[in-house]
Amino acid sequence: MAPILKVVNVTKYFGGVRALEDVSLDVEKRAMVGLIGPNGSGKTTLFNVITGFYPPDRGEVYFKGRRIDGLNPNEIFKLGLVRTFQNPRLFFNMSVWENMLVIPQDQKGESLLKAPFTRLWLNEEMEIAKKASSLLKDFGLKDFVINKVSDLSGAHIKLLESARGLMGKGEMFLLDEPAAGVAHTDAHKIFSFIRRLRDEYGLTFFIIEHRIEVLMDYVEYVYVLHNGRLLSQGTPEEVMRDPKVIHAYIGE
Amino acid sequence: MITFDVIGFLLSWFTFFSIYAILSMSLNLEVGYAGMANFGKVAFYGIGAYVSAYVSMSIFLSLAGLNYPLYSLEATMAMVKLASQNPMLNVSVFILTLILAFLIAGAIGYVIMYPTLRVGPAFFGITVLSFGELLRIFLRHYEPTGATYGLTGIPHPFAWIEDVFVKNLLFTSVTLIILILLFLYAQRLVNSPLGRTMLAIREDEIAALCMGKDVPKVKGKVLFIGSGMAGIAGCILAYYIGSINPNIFVPTVTFDVWAMMILGGIGNNKGAIVGAGIITLVDRATAAINFVFPGLIIDPNFIRWMIIGLIIILVLLFKPAGLIPQTYTWTPAWKIVKPLEEKAKRRREKLLSPFKKISKWFLMGG
Repeated sequence: MAPILKVVNVTKYFGGVRALEDVSLDVEKRAMVGLIGPNGSGKTTLFNVITGFYPPDRGEVYFKGRRIDGLNPNEIFKLGLVRTFQNPRLFFNMSVWENMLVIPQDQKGESLLKAPFTRLWLNEEMEIAKKASSLLKDFGLKDFVINKVSDLSGAHIKLLESARGLMGKGEMFLLDEPAAGVAHTDAHKIFSFIRRLRDEYGLTFFIIEHRIEVLMDYVEYVYVLHNGRLLSQGTPEEVMRDPKVIHAYIGE
Repeated sequence: MITFDVIGFLLSWFTFFSIYAILSMSLNLEVGYAGMANFGKVAFYGIGAYVSAYVSMSIFLSLAGLNYPLYSLEATMAMVKLASQNPMLNVSVFILTLILAFLIAGAIGYVIMYPTLRVGPAFFGITVLSFGELLRIFLRHYEPTGATYGLTGIPHPFAWIEDVFVKNLLFTSVTLIILILLFLYAQRLVNSPLGRTMLAIREDEIAALCMGKDVPKVKGKVLFIGSGMAGIAGCILAYYIGSINPNIFVPTVTFDVWAMMILGGIGNNKGAIVGAGIITLVDRATAAINFVFPGLIIDPNFIRWMIIGLIIILVLLFKPAGLIPQTYTWTPAWKIVKPLEEKAKRRREKLLSPFKKISKWFLMGG
């Protein structure tokens, strides 16, 4: 089976700083793949390159067999590749409900001429609303619909961010530290929830996480970045035993 | 003592109120909803006024077969005679220029989006501010629109009515009707998926981009509508005062409109209108006091801005979000969550009921 995401020899420089060098990796469909590495190893830069924030200096990125490097972030989202941020970037002064409804692409009511006439977009709007309400129920957020996002707790914000990704046509999620700043038990909850999502919705996850001890319980395959290069890869057990990885993390 | 013309005062207040309410509403669409700090509002106001003045005077003069330059004294003199001859022509030219002012100001607003894309959102305000100033300086030196003298003799749409009071009443009601129509349009616009997307862009542009929103396109749309509405306000102003020149369109106008919007509440159309009402009232009232009580020690015109500043400080102290703060975007989708909302409410009440009983007991006992 062809991988859903394919990164080929991606190199990215920031001035003289080499952020990524010849990184190549594959993510299979319906997989949960981890990306680890010490601070400053280029993990977030890799995500930014994949989702179109920076064009790579060299190399190619393929999503579902289509080349996506050079596209704008909004175009990449439309193809079904969703990313979340290390610091959740939700629309904090809007309600949870509006945060969900705003996501679907190319809504009829977003046109300047159609927007004032409710009749023209009512059906679409109600479908979106149904989808949003069932997703909120699934994610256990249905009691917060009228709350502003800024009123939610950290764990709920993380949940909302994933629920929001599902409102679009998301097939693959790039999660940047989904369990950052969350208590240990909650981190396990979040990861088992991600696993459930993978099984129920048939999604693919590519996850950056610093809490390796939590991550390793859930992913099937791990890539390790160090100083912008791919240091190691394999199943969690293989990577944990790899002396190069231990060296990179702990030193001599 | 000079008798004070209350109705005349109200008519002039209502007209200025409509003009500024349209402006602050359009600014609110851009700033309050889409998060674009537009410091060049006056440019589009000016474009609307100049387009209407230029087009209407050209039509009148060319129909009469006169070939004077628009800014000449002859043209102004001829316009006085021409304006009161054909009611149908006056009204249809007014409607035509309203549409033209909207379209031209809107189109320029849309095009302005492209150069500002490159400088980034933070510099958008500065770019449009300088655009407005450049436009004013250009008009000061552009002879076909009369350079510093401007254009005089813009044909009032109701110039054919002899009674001045009826004429003004009619014009003021027309401007109020335009304001109401634009308000209804703006309300429908913000309570739609488009309004929601605009809010999302205001909240976090990068997140909106990541969530697949074509941010520049949406901003272009908002600038089109916002600038077009400012153009309509400019058109009304041109017909109301009958004579325009570049010195009317100084940057202060933009900041007046900002003050109205902040006072009324950012992100709420009703707030923008209330803010415009309060500030134009202070403005008109301080101008009128001189006529009622001539010979005051302090000319109220000079303390006008102190009063307005005081009002703004007081409102921001006690109601930081403005008089009418922002609410949700009310689309029909809320109907679905109503049951959920009620359930949550019932649960909250159940939780609170012991406290209520205690407080009731205390109240009864006391």
